[in-house]
Amino acid sequence: MIRPRDFPYWHEVVLAVLLVGLMIWAGVTEPPRRNTFVSPGTQLQLSGNMWEMALLTVPMTLIIITSGIDLSVGSAMALSAVALGETYNHGFSVWIAAAVAIGMGLWAGFFNGLFISKLHVHPLIVTLATLAAFKGIAEGYSEGVSVSKFPESFRMIGEGTILGLPIPGIIFMGVVISAAVILIKTRWGRYLYSMGHNETATRFSGVPVDKIKLALYTLSGGMAGLAAVIYGARRDSAKADVGDGMELDVITAVVLGGTSIFGGRGNMLGTLLGVLLVHETRELVSWRWNQAELNLIVIGLLLIGSVLLNRLLSVRGRKG
Amino acid sequence: MVKASLVDIQHVGKSYGGVQALRDVSLSIAPGEVHALCGENGAGKSTLIKIITGSVVPDTGQVMVDGVPLKLGDVREAEDMGIGVIHQESSAFLHLNAEDNIFVGREPKILGGMFLNRREMRLQTRALLDRLGEPIDQRRELLEMTVAQRQMVSIARALSRKVKLLIMDEPTASLSARETEVLFRIIRQLRSEGVSMLYVSHRMEEVFDLSDRVTVFRDGRWVATEPTKSMTTQSLIQKMVGREIGELGRRHDTGIVPGPVVLETQNLSRGRAFQDISFTVRAGEIVGLAGLVGAGRSEVAQAIFGVDDYDSGEVRVNGNPIRKHSIKESMAAGIALVPEDRQHLGLVLPMSVGANLTMAVLKSLTRGGFISGRLQFELSEDLMRGLMIKAASTSIATETLSGGNQQKVMLGKWLAPNPKVLLLDEPTRGIDVGAKAEVHKLVRELAGKGMATLLISSELPELLSLSDRIVVMRQGRISGELQGPDATQEKLLELALPKT
Amino acid sequence: MKFGTGKIFHRLDQQRELGVLLLLVLTVAIVSIRDSNFLLLGNIRDMLVGAAPTLIIGCGMTLVIVTGEIDISVGSLMGLCAAVMGQLTSTTDGRLGLPVWVGVAAMLSLGALVGLINGLLVTVGRVPSIIVTLGMLTALRGITQRVIGPTWIQDMPPGLRYFGTGTIFGIPVSVLTAIVVVVGFIIMTRQTPLGRRIYAVGSNVRSAHLAGISQTRIKLAVFIITGILTAIATLVSATQLQVIDPGFGKSRELLIVTCVVVGGTSISGGRGTIIGSALGALLLSIVGTVLIFMKLGPSASYWERAIHGAFILLAVLADHLAPESSSEAHA
Repeated sequence: MIRPRDFPYWHEVVLAVLLVGLMIWAGVTEPPRRNTFVSPGTQLQLSGNMWEMALLTVPMTLIIITSGIDLSVGSAMALSAVALGETYNHGFSVWIAAAVAIGMGLWAGFFNGLFISKLHVHPLIVTLATLAAFKGIAEGYSEGVSVSKFPESFRMIGEGTILGLPIPGIIFMGVVISAAVILIKTRWGRYLYSMGHNETATRFSGVPVDKIKLALYTLSGGMAGLAAVIYGARRDSAKADVGDGMELDVITAVVLGGTSIFGGRGNMLGTLLGVLLVHETRELVSWRWNQAELNLIVIGLLLIGSVLLNRLLSVRGRKG
Repeated sequence: MVKASLVDIQHVGKSYGGVQALRDVSLSIAPGEVHALCGENGAGKSTLIKIITGSVVPDTGQVMVDGVPLKLGDVREAEDMGIGVIHQESSAFLHLNAEDNIFVGREPKILGGMFLNRREMRLQTRALLDRLGEPIDQRRELLEMTVAQRQMVSIARALSRKVKLLIMDEPTASLSARETEVLFRIIRQLRSEGVSMLYVSHRMEEVFDLSDRVTVFRDGRWVATEPTKSMTTQSLIQKMVGREIGELGRRHDTGIVPGPVVLETQNLSRGRAFQDISFTVRAGEIVGLAGLVGAGRSEVAQAIFGVDDYDSGEVRVNGNPIRKHSIKESMAAGIALVPEDRQHLGLVLPMSVGANLTMAVLKSLTRGGFISGRLQFELSEDLMRGLMIKAASTSIATETLSGGNQQKVMLGKWLAPNPKVLLLDEPTRGIDVGAKAEVHKLVRELAGKGMATLLISSELPELLSLSDRIVVMRQGRISGELQGPDATQEKLLELALPKT
Repeated sequence: MKFGTGKIFHRLDQQRELGVLLLLVLTVAIVSIRDSNFLLLGNIRDMLVGAAPTLIIGCGMTLVIVTGEIDISVGSLMGLCAAVMGQLTSTTDGRLGLPVWVGVAAMLSLGALVGLINGLLVTVGRVPSIIVTLGMLTALRGITQRVIGPTWIQDMPPGLRYFGTGTIFGIPVSVLTAIVVVVGFIIMTRQTPLGRRIYAVGSNVRSAHLAGISQTRIKLAVFIITGILTAIATLVSATQLQVIDPGFGKSRELLIVTCVVVGGTSISGGRGTIIGSALGALLLSIVGTVLIFMKLGPSASYWERAIHGAFILLAVLADHLAPESSSEAHA
C-alpha cells in the first residue's frame, strides 16, 4: 500500500546507515589494541561527553518544530553553572545549590519566553541577545573563578550507574521518550507542529500559543540548568565557560536529525540519531587526531551540510 | 475586428504536474480596449496572466505583441514590450518611497550608470502622478500610504514603462467604494489614451460597468469572447459555470421566526477601529454585517471571538457576559469564527484534512491524555460527508484541495464544536460559483436548526439574499439597520458610504 | 532642506536614529560632567579606533539584515583574515615573509570568497543564513587555529603595521577608513541602483523578482560586500597588535549585530539605515569606554557582553513600546 516515496522515515534510515557506516569504518581502520574506539568500554566512557548536549536537544527539537530557535542554551548553562558553584561556595548544601542552578536555568528560559511570547520578538534576536547577556552575567559575577570539590554523593549524578547504565543516560532516555510520546500521542504535540506551520491559524483555533511558547523556552532553560548540574557532577567543576558553544552542537544534532528549521517537521527518533552522529563524529575526531580545532571545522561543516541535505531531500520529496 | 490586435495569445497551454491548467487558449486584445476575463477559481485566469507577464513559460503556443512574438518566461522582456500588471495584493515595496517604487529595477542613471538620476526620477514621477490626477506625496514611504494610493503608485510604475497592456488582477478587492470610483476614472482615462486593459474580477457589476468585451474561461479552456453589451449577468454566470443557476431567493421571504437573543454586544469599542457597537443576533437568525473594507467589520468579529482586545463594552451569550480577549472563553461560550483568510488565519494548509477539521475540538478527542485516532477519524469522516468535502482521504494534506473544498474544511472545523453562534467573515471569498451555492445552502440549513449567525460579506447580493437583518457599519460605527423590503442595494450603500 | 539634520534624517519619523543620537550625546555629556578627563582628545581617538572595525563591518551587516538575512560569521572571518595575513607576511617562526601587498590581496580575496560561499549556500543552497553563518563561525575558527599553529603570529612587517598604527593628518588610518566606508555606504544605499535594489529585495522579494531584480544576485552581493568589509576591518585593526592569537575577532559579530539592531534596522528586513548603525556603533563604543572609566578592572570586559545583550533587548523593547506608525489607512 505504501509506496517507497511515501515512506516517512527515509531521513532516519539514511542517518542510521551513516552512523553504522561511521562505526564500521572506525572499527576497520583502527589498528588493533586493547581499547579500540568501537569497543563497548570506550563507548560507555566517551558517552559521558554526550549527555548535556543530548538533554538540550530535546527542548530544542520542540522549539524548532514550532519554527523558533534558542541560541542561548549554552549561556544559560553557564549561568546555571555559576549559580551552582556560587551557592555551594556560600556554604549551602550541594543539593540546594543544584536546585538553585536548575531554578536559574528556568528563570533564564522564562525570561526568553517572556520576550518571545508577550512582546512577540523574533526568538532569533531575543536568544542572540541573551546568549551574550547570560554569558556576560555569568562571567561578570563569577569573575572567571571555578568551583570544584563537590561531595562524592553529588558526583554520582554524573558518574554513577544503575544496572550498568549511566545515570545521566537514564535521565536522558526518560526525557526523550516523554517528549516523543507528547509529540506523537497528545494534542500538545499536534499544536506544536501546527504552530510551526501556521502560528496565526493555530491561535485562531483557540490554542494557547503564547503559553505554549513560554513553557517551551522555560523548559529549554530548565534543561540547561539540569545539564549544568550534570556537567558539574561529572567533571567536578562549575565555571562560567561551561556550555561554551553548546548551542552549535545542539542545533546541529537537531537539524541533522531532520527537524526542519522552518518548523512543522521533526521527530525525536531523528534527533536521537542526530545526537549520536554528532557525538560519534566528534569523539572519533578527538580519538584519532586529538586536535580540538579539527572538531570545530567538522561540526561547523556538519551543521551546514545537514541542513543542505535536508533541503535537497525535502525538495525531492515535494516534487515526487 | 476592424483594428489589428495589440496582443494576440495563440494556442497557449500549460500543465502543472499532470494537471492541465490551461488548454489551447487563444485570445486577442485590441488597442484601447478594456477586456474582462471571467471564470471560476481554477479556470486558468492567473496562469494566463503569469504567462503574458513572463513569470511562467507555457508548454505550447505563443504570445504576439504588435505582431512580434514575445520571448516567453522573461519578466523584463514582457515589460519592455509594454505589458504591465497590477496585482491583487499590493505588490509594491513598502519601505521605499513612491519614486523608488516606480523606478527600481530600471533606474535612470548618471555618471556612467553608477548613480541614480534623482532629478529625473523626481520630475518623471511628478509628471506620472499628475497624469493620473491623484495627489500623492512622492517622497513618502508606501508603508504610510493607503492601499489605494499604493495601487496608484503601481499604475504609475506601469505607465513609466510605456505600458500598452495593463493587466488588472482583482484590483478593487480591498478598495473602498470611493477609491474604486477613482480607479475606474483612471481606467477610463487610460483607455481613452489608447492603453489596453485585461481586467480580471469576480465582481459582475464591475465587469459590466467597465469592459468592452468579456472572455470566459472554464476549467482551463476558452469558452467565449463576446461584446459586453450582448451579455447579461445571468448569461455570463451561466457561461462561467456551464449550467444555469437561479437567482438566489430572498431569505426574509421564507418566514422563519427567530428565537431568543443568543449573541448580544453592548457598546463595544476599541480605539479608532470601532466604537459603540451594539447589536443582537437571535437563534435561527442570520444577521448581515455590511460595510466597506476598513469599516471595522472583521475587527468587531475578531473582538467578539476574543482574538483581539477591546477597550470597553460587553459581549453576552445567552445573557451571560464573557471575558474579553480570550478565545478559549469565547469558544466555551459557544462562539465560532470562520475567518476571512483561509491561508493565514483559517487553516494549517500543510497539515491533513483530519487534523484541520479536529483542531478546535482536539481536547474532546483525547482519552487518557492521548488523542484517540478512532475518534478523530470518525469525526473527520462525518464532517467530510456532511459538508460534501471532496478529498481522497482525511489524511491528505489540506493544501492539495481546491479553494472551495478548503473553505468547507474551514467551515467544518468550526461546526465541529457545535457552536451556538457562528461568525462568518467573507465565507465565499475567492471560491467558485458552485461551491458558493453550497455554502449558502449550508448557512441557511444551519439557521433553520437554530444557529445564530453573523454574516460579514462584501458582496451585496449575498448579504441581501441570506440575511434576515442587515447591520451596516461606517467608519467604525453602526450607521443603520435594514430589514425586509427596506433592504435594497441602494439603501445599503447609502448607509455604508462615508458622509461627505 | 538644504543641509544638516534635514539632509541626514530626510524624514522626520526616523525617530530611531534621532533617539540613538540623543542617547549618544546624553551619555557623553553625563560622563564628561562627572569626569572632565573623559573628553580628552586621546580618549576620543581611542574610542574611534576601537569603533572603526565595528563601523566598517556594520555597513555590510546592515545591508545583509535589510535583505532579511544575517551573517554571524564575521568575527571568525576576522580571525582567519588576520591569521592568513600574518602567516603570509610575518618574517619569524618560519612564516613566509611575503611582500605586504600579497598579504593584503590574499586577505581581501579571502573575505570575498567566504562571503561568496555564505551567499551561495543561502541563495542557491537555500539554507537559512543563521545556520550557514553559525556553521561558518565555528568552522572558520577551527581553520584559524590550524593556520596559526602552536606559536602565535608576531613580527608583522612595518609596512603592514602602518594600516593599524599610522596616521594621515593626525587621524589614524583606521578611523579615516571607517569614515570613508560609512560615507561611501550612505551614498551607495541612497543614490545608486544597487542600494535601492537591496532595499527592494528586503521589502518584497516577490515584487523585486517581478521587477526583474534577481534576489540571488543582490544577496550574493551583500554577503560578498560584508566579507570584503570584514577583511578591510581586519587590515586596520589586527595590525594594531603586536601579536595575533587564534581568538582574534571572537564575539565581534555579536557587537556588530547589536549596533545594527540598536541603530534601528529591522531583523525582518526592508528597514534600516547605515547612519543608524554607525550611531549605534559609536554609542556602544562609548559605553565600553565608560565601563573602563568606571575602573571595573578586568571584569569590565565580562560585563560588556552582558550590556551588549541588554542593549539588543532594550532596542527591541523600544520598538515594541513605540507608537505604531501612522500607516492605518482610513477609507
